Amino acid sequence: MYRLENLRKVFDGDLVAVDDVSMKVDPGEQVAVIGPSGAGKTTLFRLLNLTLCPDGGRLWLGDLDVGRLHGRALRAARRRIGTIYQQHNLVPRLSVVHNVLAGRLGAWSGWRAVWSLFRPQELEAAHAALTQVGIPEKLYARTDELSGGQQQRVAIARVLVQEPEIILADEPVASVDPNLAHAIVRLLVEISRSSGKTLLMNLHSVELALAYFPRVIGFRGGKIEFDRPPVDVTEEMLGRLYAGISRSEAEEAGIPTPHDSPLICYGPLFPRK
Amino acid sequence: MTHRLSATAPSFRESKRALHWLFFGGLLLVFLGSARLAQVDPGVLLDARARANFLRFFAGAFPPDLSSQFLQFLIRPTLETIQISILGTAIAVAIGFPLALLGTATLAYRGVLHAREVGAAPSRRVVRFLPYAASRALLSAFRSIPEFVWAFMFVRAVGLGPFPGVLAIGVAYGGMIGKVYSEILEAVDPQPLEALQATGASRWQIFAYGFLPQAYPNFVSYTLYRWECAIRASAVMGLVGAGGLGQQIEISMRMFDFHQMFTLVGILFGLVGAVDWLSARIRRRVFAR
Amino acid sequence: MPRVQSSIADAHSVVGRQPRRWFPLAMAAAVVTLVWWSARGAEVDLPLLLRDGPQAMLSYAGKLFPPDLRPEFLLDTAFGALETLAISIMGSLLATLLAFGAVFFASANLMYAGVLFEREAAGRVRRGLRLSLYLGAKSLLNLLRTIPDIVWATVFVFAVGLGPFPGVLALGVHNGGVLGKLFGEVLENVDRRPIEALQATGATRFQILIYGILPQALPQFLAYALYRWEVNIRAAAMLGLVGAGGLGQRIHIAISLFLEHQLLTLLLAIYVIVTAVDYLSAYLRRLII
Repeated sequence: MYRLENLRKVFDGDLVAVDDVSMKVDPGEQVAVIGPSGAGKTTLFRLLNLTLCPDGGRLWLGDLDVGRLHGRALRAARRRIGTIYQQHNLVPRLSVVHNVLAGRLGAWSGWRAVWSLFRPQELEAAHAALTQVGIPEKLYARTDELSGGQQQRVAIARVLVQEPEIILADEPVASVDPNLAHAIVRLLVEISRSSGKTLLMNLHSVELALAYFPRVIGFRGGKIEFDRPPVDVTEEMLGRLYAGISRSEAEEAGIPTPHDSPLICYGPLFPRK
Repeated sequence: MTHRLSATAPSFRESKRALHWLFFGGLLLVFLGSARLAQVDPGVLLDARARANFLRFFAGAFPPDLSSQFLQFLIRPTLETIQISILGTAIAVAIGFPLALLGTATLAYRGVLHAREVGAAPSRRVVRFLPYAASRALLSAFRSIPEFVWAFMFVRAVGLGPFPGVLAIGVAYGGMIGKVYSEILEAVDPQPLEALQATGASRWQIFAYGFLPQAYPNFVSYTLYRWECAIRASAVMGLVGAGGLGQQIEISMRMFDFHQMFTLVGILFGLVGAVDWLSARIRRRVFAR
Repeated sequence: MPRVQSSIADAHSVVGRQPRRWFPLAMAAAVVTLVWWSARGAEVDLPLLLRDGPQAMLSYAGKLFPPDLRPEFLLDTAFGALETLAISIMGSLLATLLAFGAVFFASANLMYAGVLFEREAAGRVRRGLRLSLYLGAKSLLNLLRTIPDIVWATVFVFAVGLGPFPGVLALGVHNGGVLGKLFGEVLENVDRRPIEALQATGATRFQILIYGILPQALPQFLAYALYRWEVNIRAAAMLGLVGAGGLGQRIHIAISLFLEHQLLTLLLAIYVIVTAVDYLSAYLRRLII
């Protein structure tokens, strides 16, 4: 689905966020990307969803070289990729139904989009998506009145109505409680499995990555440290991936620190608010 | 090391203090020069003649002219003032809104909505920057020339009457509204915009779903404020023959009829108060939703 | 996906529950009606305007060119610009002083309400005195603010004669009222926690003012004063209409005597000083905050 050849992104001339990354993701795969904060994971995802422009290398979406796309063709390519953000990135003053239907914008004409703000179009799709994420009763609620977890579910519903071939989820559970985190990751993996959509997810929590994904990529300093099935991910690899980071961040990621129990993935695992 | 520190620190502090003195000295000079140029002379105010004039003015103004004949006559100019202000504000929005869209940097040429396409071909930045710069320059010219000058010129171009006043408010306030609208649009949170763009939305769709819902309460609020200003401005428009209450104020001033003038200023006072009250209610409503 | 199928029926039942959004529609209808009514009242002949308007304006604009660039006229223009600048600076200064003097009396949380008076058992007379002082200051500021600067200017021209000084007084008095309102809002939004803490140390009300309130409020006072300066530079130009000197007076003359080339030079001069003041004020405000 994705093919990256020496993909590279440099900010302000010297901060290398993504450093000559090459990899391949097959259609229908579920891939988790883990690594410390500042590893360049979010930048990688913003390259993959065609928000940022790489400074070097090539990016293939299926058979399509997306490097020189612009205008209509670029929008068509973006439509094939749905993104879920850490901060939800919903429009606060818009009601839930419009935030969900925003996923259809790539398929709609400009006038239909404006008309939909008065008479919601494809209401069934919005309702179905909200039902799937468990909050159908919030259809006409105002988005900024929802809780963080509910907002994240609205963002997932937006991706569902977009019907993309690929779902990118950038730390989708960083700001929700542990139970909901499991539920959301499981939901996305299930959607990917049942509909054959490719799923890439950035995760802070190593435990979630190892528990739900058949393929785990360790990312650090803009480079791929390892890329293998979870059974092959060793304690030592994780140790190297998170080497030199602060204790609190390690705890947040569920990584053992010298004072922690040796049980890596099942320690105190979740971000504490 | 310590030696060098102790040597440089005081001199740095001294130079900073010198800069402060220079700044305040300069400020004082500016104030003194301005006072001289503006012929500021507080003594004049205490002068017996000035006191007599003040007295004459205020004593002459009481009581306001409230004869039913005069009040009836004022209905038309009052309505005219309201009409000038409404139509002028409407024209200002019609001019300012499209120019604001062109003049919003995050819509026009920079930021996350352009990162990909401009990054792929930097020449696109120039192409997108030009309409932005042109609209900014136009807005700046519109609002830098005060509304009474516009009124003067429109009186020359289309003749006396309320219409040149409308056009003057439309153009001068169009420049201000355009600038403020674009500032409001640039302050919109870019994260939802990025998400909308990632769904494949066009720029127009991103505007309708991302920019507008976040910006419109501020649009409404600022437009109402401008409407209030437009009512006040009608007092000025009248001076150059552009109708409304201002023209009546001008006439009664010429005839030294301070009773009438008092009434007129009172009506203006009431209009501004009413608009203020109405805007506050609309604002509360718009921001609550 | 059977789940999706069944939810379609639900969706339709939900459609009925969509909240009625009558407010935006009612507002839109009201605005359209008002604009239409205003257009009729303001004697706007739209077809005529669209046919002849652009022609008339273009031919008038054409007459303006080229600007009058004779050295003696440029010198006169420069002097006018300086005079306008001086009026605006002095007017803003006077306004700031006026507002600063009055605002402390016109702010409720300093005079009678809020945490500073929570535990005070003042006698009825003192409370009444405070309250009336507050009301007096507040209504004085309101009065200054609501009378437009152009009306103030005519009053002062009448009292002290022609020249830039009545312009300074008019700007100072009107904007004193405006700044008084703005300063008052600043004082009411000051963070109350440090004030409580200072009061708990046994500080007097004056000490609380200079240690707890002014350090928070002064930068914002200055920022507002600078913002009013931007407004005043335009107003100062306008006051020339009623004989307060500066560029406005020269523009008045140029228009009345059909000196179009001179008019263009004067317009350019206004553009230059207004833009310069905008930039300078924005720069200084960034420096303060």
